[in-house]
Amino acid sequence: MLARVANNLFWMGRYIERSEHIARYLNVNYFSSLDAPNELSQSRQFVLRSFLFMIGEPENDPEKILDEEKVLFNIGLDPDSYYSIINNIKAARENANGARDLISTELYEAINRFYHFVLNYNPEHFVKKGLYDYTIRVMERSAILRGKIRGTLLHDEVYSIIMLGVNIERATQIIRIINAKYHDALLARESYGHEMENTFEWSTLLKCAESYDMMRRFYRKTPNILCTLEFLVLHDNCPRSVMNSLNQVSKHLHTLDLDKNPKKNSTAFLAGKLRSEIEFMNVEDIEQDVKLFIQRILDQLYRISKRMEEEFFQY
Amino acid sequence: MDTNSKNSLFSSYPQKPELFDEVFEKDGSTKAIYEKLLGLYGEHSIQDYVYLNNKAKASFFNQGITFQVYEKEKTQEKIFPFDLFPRIIDTDEWDTIESGSIQRSKALNLFLQDIYHDKKIINDKVVPLELLSSSANYLHQMMNVDPPGGIYNHISGTDVIKHSDGKYYVLEDNIRCPSGVSYVICNRTALKRALFGVFNHYNAYTVTDYAENLLQILQSVKPRGVDNPNCVVITPGMFNSAYYEHSYLAKAMGVELVEGRDLFVENNFVYMKTINGPEKVDVIYRRIDDAFLDPLEFRSDSALGVPGLFAAYRKGNVCLANAPGTGVADDKAVYTYMPDIIKYYLDEDPILNNVHTYHCSRPDELKYVLENVDKLVVKPVDEAGGYGISIGNRLSKAEIKQVQEQIKKEPRKYVAQPILSLSVHPTYIDEKESFEQRHIDLRTFTLLGKDSEFVLRGGLTRVALKEGNLIVNSSQGGGSKDTWVLKKDK
Amino acid sequence: MLTEYTITYSTQNEYDALVNGAFWQFLIIPEENETQQLVQWHMDSNLQLSQNESINGLGFKTIHAQTKDRFTEADFKASFQVQKKSSNPFDFIPNQNLEMDYMEIQSLAFRTKHEIYLRRTGFTDLPIEFAAIFPFDSNKNIFENLMGLNHWVFVYLFFKTDVTHVDTPLKEIIEKRHGVCQDFTHLFLAIARANNIPTRYVSGYLHQGNGYFGDSQMHAWAEAYVPQAGWVGFDPTNDILVADDHIKICHGLDYSDCSPLKGVVYSSGNNKTSHSIEVRDSQQ
Repeated sequence: MLARVANNLFWMGRYIERSEHIARYLNVNYFSSLDAPNELSQSRQFVLRSFLFMIGEPENDPEKILDEEKVLFNIGLDPDSYYSIINNIKAARENANGARDLISTELYEAINRFYHFVLNYNPEHFVKKGLYDYTIRVMERSAILRGKIRGTLLHDEVYSIIMLGVNIERATQIIRIINAKYHDALLARESYGHEMENTFEWSTLLKCAESYDMMRRFYRKTPNILCTLEFLVLHDNCPRSVMNSLNQVSKHLHTLDLDKNPKKNSTAFLAGKLRSEIEFMNVEDIEQDVKLFIQRILDQLYRISKRMEEEFFQY
Repeated sequence: MDTNSKNSLFSSYPQKPELFDEVFEKDGSTKAIYEKLLGLYGEHSIQDYVYLNNKAKASFFNQGITFQVYEKEKTQEKIFPFDLFPRIIDTDEWDTIESGSIQRSKALNLFLQDIYHDKKIINDKVVPLELLSSSANYLHQMMNVDPPGGIYNHISGTDVIKHSDGKYYVLEDNIRCPSGVSYVICNRTALKRALFGVFNHYNAYTVTDYAENLLQILQSVKPRGVDNPNCVVITPGMFNSAYYEHSYLAKAMGVELVEGRDLFVENNFVYMKTINGPEKVDVIYRRIDDAFLDPLEFRSDSALGVPGLFAAYRKGNVCLANAPGTGVADDKAVYTYMPDIIKYYLDEDPILNNVHTYHCSRPDELKYVLENVDKLVVKPVDEAGGYGISIGNRLSKAEIKQVQEQIKKEPRKYVAQPILSLSVHPTYIDEKESFEQRHIDLRTFTLLGKDSEFVLRGGLTRVALKEGNLIVNSSQGGGSKDTWVLKKDK
Repeated sequence: MLTEYTITYSTQNEYDALVNGAFWQFLIIPEENETQQLVQWHMDSNLQLSQNESINGLGFKTIHAQTKDRFTEADFKASFQVQKKSSNPFDFIPNQNLEMDYMEIQSLAFRTKHEIYLRRTGFTDLPIEFAAIFPFDSNKNIFENLMGLNHWVFVYLFFKTDVTHVDTPLKEIIEKRHGVCQDFTHLFLAIARANNIPTRYVSGYLHQGNGYFGDSQMHAWAEAYVPQAGWVGFDPTNDILVADDHIKICHGLDYSDCSPLKGVVYSSGNNKTSHSIEVRDSQQ
């Protein structure tokens, strides 16, 4: 496989995964805030700020009153903001175009239909009453793509490269979402003096990761910070957990590089190292300093992705 | 006009008696070959048809069979307009087209071989030396180079039209990078999706075998010493208007689609950069123009090409299809000598007719052209894509004067031909929600390999969608139709 | 008689921005022909190079050098050892009947054979207003006319460096009447081709005597096809015929076929290039 095309496939995977998480974050946070248990969490401004924090463009001026329609447009459909859902899908499609001869017609057509769907979505409708419809359909279409990737491609190196992109992005997004919701929870505590096992924010967090029901089933109790972090970071059977994503990363790296003992500082080495680190971590360690933990994991994921580019895509 | 034989879809079909309609006779009755088809289409109301037509358009969009145009400061994606009413060519007519296309391709190959070696045809005074010396597409770097397998024009596109006398005439030969073949396949797919029932009643050749034949042709011209040639398609990139076609062909052949930056040359061999390191490349189906192939040999500002590629080619370590420098033979001035060229190399009479051509470089013919601009089509000899063509009977007095001035300035640059009346075909017109007569032509695709040849049984029927327009190129607002070549009766 | 020359070619290239990989083609290896033999050569650089011999579009030997290094400076130094046999450019018998020669060059077979070297290229298209700037004398044979042209170009143009560059059009050179060997050669080619004489641009080294250093660049001259004699070299910059001091590298339609250094460099921004050439006669 061409190195350039591998790069296209990797980023196609990342962009598909990224748009889905952003869409879900908007959806879950906006609609669960409507009947949130406390005033701050109900506040429109609080939710909008949380959106901006999550996508990496936090509003630092505490006095500023945000315009809901502008923020929604900016994150959902603004072709001029690099992080918007529409731009992620555009980028996914451009990358798919670059690798068009390698992926199945079914997958390509699904991506292309997805692109035309967001391109033709009426922004006016979206910011006024389309938030639910738009985000749900983005999530559904992402799920279709996931199905097409799994169901219509040969499970060879093409598939592995895409899955590497998907899983590195998934781990990254889960960490970012934890970060955003932890940030919200801190604010909520400051303002109301609640303890940190503020159930509401943790439930929302789990829903943002599509893991609420399964977490309830597994722990049989209402979510608190410990079990939420444990489930989303350490639990290897939870399909959205960081642990699971890293297991997938290691597995797919193995398809590309059959070296049993990966060379020092190779992608496989870095990914394996992070995986073992998390495997033997316990949730109490994480809770000691959540911010530090988040920053460390994000740094490591970034290093893995960068190393991967050097190793496979650079020419 | 007798409209009884026409069904609801065609009940208001405006038929001009001076045009040669491929479907309806002058008296309005249906030609035999289209009778069944018309009956089948007649089962649909115009509303059904509008619905199917929109579905077909959406299908092109969803498949991403689009090209980009820059309009109003924004790039926009457009589909190549497609008409759901197919064109049918019967077996006997097709035999003429097929054998005629092969004949031309072979003659052109021998012509290229000759003018890049001994130039016998010039010494024998069959074509003038000026044909070469004035051609910007003649690459002196190709002198005495022997392409692998002896083939220059592996892929040729021949544009033919049906004239009002019912005969086929060749308009031009395209032997640089002829495009459009993917549309032949898409058109068929789209028609099958929309109106699968009609195929049960006609026995048409498939068009999906093009890619496998192309791959065989490419493999047949492998460099010496190579057993299993590694073939690739090279594209200028995804923003090229034919990118869909490039990716389609690569995928259908199961070979890599590369850009210049994916390749490099070392020790006069070509390699592609893969995730597992360099991999040697033996045959390149190139969809970039000569000038951009190698910045060291041709245009130095080319970012699309590969430095050192031409040296690897000259050393015989890689095959380029088509060979560099083929452009000299699809010059419109060469076209006018085609009957002589065929006769010279093959000792055969041309199977397909040439349109009579006046050379403005010859004083007596120039005089005729200048006096009759209003009755002629005037074309620049070295432009592709229908640019710079003027059609005499469409011009105002002032425009005629302008054309005359242009010709006088550079007579060598122009040729002229009588205005041919291209046949017309019922074509669905969106804005009017009805069928009208539109002019059509046909591009055939001919492949030439070391010991084999192939003509795609179908070809691209192009439609000039503007009423009365004779220029069918997509860049000039043309569309296309599925084209059925019928098998001999069972 | 054999003379042995040692030629040193060096070039320094400085780039404003960091370069991330490059591919160079050097067209500097002396041609091997009846009068020249290449004994040995090598090239060194300050960069990690992968280097191999190749050919250019007309089949002349080139050096391909590529690197994946990141750098802002690329220096190359190549040296060639060449043996040159003495030759006499006057060693042929012109046709007694000079009209026969003129008839020959007018014949279709001749024009067809030499078609490419009769082409007017961007560098050798004589502007129409100068069509009669040097008329051939039909009472003299072709060789004498070319000798006359050689001398005329030498007198007409003034040798001056840094007033023209590689893209200066011929029209400007004729109007301003100055230039370097390239410009002298192009003017010679243009006028000869306008008179139906096939001519080619030659790039090579010139031995100017003992120890000229850095004052010399790549030299250029012309070769014209003279009936009965074949290709004869004319050096209009020095008003001499090409003989023992000229070491040929390659020929082509014009400069663009013979540029000594072409490169594809992955960088943005400008660069500065300098060359220097030294030709030493080993007996000295």
